[in-house]
Amino acid sequence: MAAGYRTHVSIIADILYTAKQYSYEGYESGATVTHLIRKANVPHQRLSSIVPTLTQSGLLYEDSAKYRISEKGIEFLKAYSEFKGFAETFGLRV
Amino acid sequence: MVEVLFELPMNLLGLGISAFIGRFAYSGYTTVASPNLLRLTFAFVSIATGFALIAGGLFAGGYSQAMTTAGLATQAIGYFFIAFSHSLKSFDFSPSRSFLFLPLAVTGFVIPGNSIEHLVRSISFILLVYVSIETMASYMQNRRTSTLMIGSGLGMLAVGELMSWYNFIYPGSFYVAALSIKVAGFGLMFVPFSKFGLASGLGRMNSQIGSGL
Repeated sequence: MAAGYRTHVSIIADILYTAKQYSYEGYESGATVTHLIRKANVPHQRLSSIVPTLTQSGLLYEDSAKYRISEKGIEFLKAYSEFKGFAETFGLRV
Repeated sequence: MVEVLFELPMNLLGLGISAFIGRFAYSGYTTVASPNLLRLTFAFVSIATGFALIAGGLFAGGYSQAMTTAGLATQAIGYFFIAFSHSLKSFDFSPSRSFLFLPLAVTGFVIPGNSIEHLVRSISFILLVYVSIETMASYMQNRRTSTLMIGSGLGMLAVGELMSWYNFIYPGSFYVAALSIKVAGFGLMFVPFSKFGLASGLGRMNSQIGSGL
């Protein structure tokens, strides 16, 4: 993987961060697919394959075609941030 | 006997530090399902196993040399996993990274063929030099002090491996220094990691988060 590409886990984290932003920062209705595509910078085709997995895993939940982050998703982001720092100390990406 | 009294606690210290880091990396893998964290888990578990084999070799009598060689080979496998993670990250052949292949270029002149232990030690040395350079290159990009410490620790491991190799050829020359530098290198690597391990209580083991990703 070249240095400029995001890892799969990083893309998941970006999606969750976007959903979190639209879940709590004055946007209580949640993030639409368009929000996720634009803010997380993920193409629709890839997003379509990732979001169902995140929903099934309980990291996101869908409400009227909008996605909000769950408590489990918030825990995942905390863990991601922690282990991202751990991996970066070795010069690696999580 | 004096050698055992010195070498045993040093190997156990290396075992403890490596196992601790490997345990934390594993908790990271179970939480966020990152392949790099899995590779780090394999790496440090292998290194810890190597230390255990070397320590066990002190009491193995006639099998001492075989266990020591097996321990060194297991550690070399661990260094390979770290090097593999770095090679995946920087596999873009950009001109600025071309010099990183220098350790591989000298392989033909360094790797001997007359002894398994020589072979294992030389491969370990080459892998450690590569990983140390890669980590230092990452430090030049992100300027994190913790990355500098890890890179320095890996560099010390490389120096320690080279000195222990020299001691293997000329016994008694750098025995104490080699082992001390090696363990000091692991200790230096443990310092930036300790804030993660201690803050999160030996790593978070929540197998529910990240499963299915």
